[in-house]
Parts: sequence; C-alpha cells; structure tokens
Amino acid sequence: MVKTERIEAEADEPTPSSAWLIGAAAWFVPGLGHGLLKKWPRALLMGGAVWLCFFIGLNMGGHMFDLNAAEGSSQLLQVPPMIANLGTGALYIISWLLGYGFADDPAQAARATYEYGNTFLLIAGLLNYLTMLDAFDIAAGRKS
Amino acid sequence: MRHFLVMTLFAALASIVFGAMGKETTQERWLYGVKVFAEFMVIGLVLSWVLYFIP
Repeated sequence: MVKTERIEAEADEPTPSSAWLIGAAAWFVPGLGHGLLKKWPRALLMGGAVWLCFFIGLNMGGHMFDLNAAEGSSQLLQVPPMIANLGTGALYIISWLLGYGFADDPAQAARATYEYGNTFLLIAGLLNYLTMLDAFDIAAGRKS
Repeated sequence: MRHFLVMTLFAALASIVFGAMGKETTQERWLYGVKVFAEFMVIGLVLSWVLYFIP
C-alpha cells in the first residue's frame, strides 16, 4: 500500500478511545503507556530515560517553570519552558504541589550545574511528549 | 571533564528514547540509537570548540 493510500485508509478509521486513555496515562506517568500496552522493554527504556533525566535535573539544582513570573520577567516568557516541564506529568505536578524545584533561589542559581539541571528538566518533559505520542500511535494501531 | 560527562549522559538519555521509538526492527533501532548518540556527541564537541574561539 503506497503512503497516500495508507493515509487515506487511516483517516477513515476512528481512533479508539483506549488510545486516548493510554496517551493520557503515558503523559501522566512516564512509561505507564507502554506498560499498559505490555511493551515492557520500551516502557523501561523510554520511561526510565524520562525519570532519570528528571531526577538528574533536580539533583543538579535545576529549576522548573510555572506562571508565577519572577520579579522583572514577563509571564509570557515562562509559558514555553513551562509547557516543556509539564511534559513530565505527575512528576511536575507533585513537585509543584510540594513546591520543590520551583524556588527562585540565588544560591541555587549560582551552582555550576544549575543550567544543566534546567536543560535536563526541560528535556525530560519533551522526551515524555515523544514517549506519549509513541504509546498513542501503538494503541491506535498506527505502529507496532 | 564534568561538562563532558553531563553531555554524554544527556546524549545517552535522548538517544535511548529516539532509538526506542524510531525504525521497525530491533537491529535498526540499535543502529539508529547509536547514530543519534554519535551525532549528539560530535555536534556537541564541534560546537564547543567553535564557541571556545569566540570571545
């Protein structure tokens, strides 16, 4: 089947509601989507990479973003990194509820690994978006 | 040295995800993951040397 025919065939098939649930689960707990699909090696590798990235970022003193803009900075500028951070799902939400990793502490910002930590936290979220899309595609039958 | 280790760790974690979700067969995934890892490392090293000479 050529690509255009495959795209047309896929457009006719509705996405099963379970795919949306698995996508949401994959976003909320990194690795859970693939786990529910019984794709254990992928769940371990992809979810594990996201969890590791997140905790390494926190351990390096990284800072996560929310809409509470620091003094002198625009709230709008906080939105793109916040979207990236939000990709870690429950990890972000729990950290936000506990107020861990959100403080604007100059001592923390002075650490040599501060920027690395920020990058790891952003990348953890972005990688989990990819993981979520992969789990969604598998659940929707678009990929094996 | 620490910067290099952090860069390696970053490249490894990102290439694990890229490798796991790309391609069809396990062998192709391995090759793709290794390729992405090598690309991260080479580009990172080249960029760091370029930036080193920029005051």
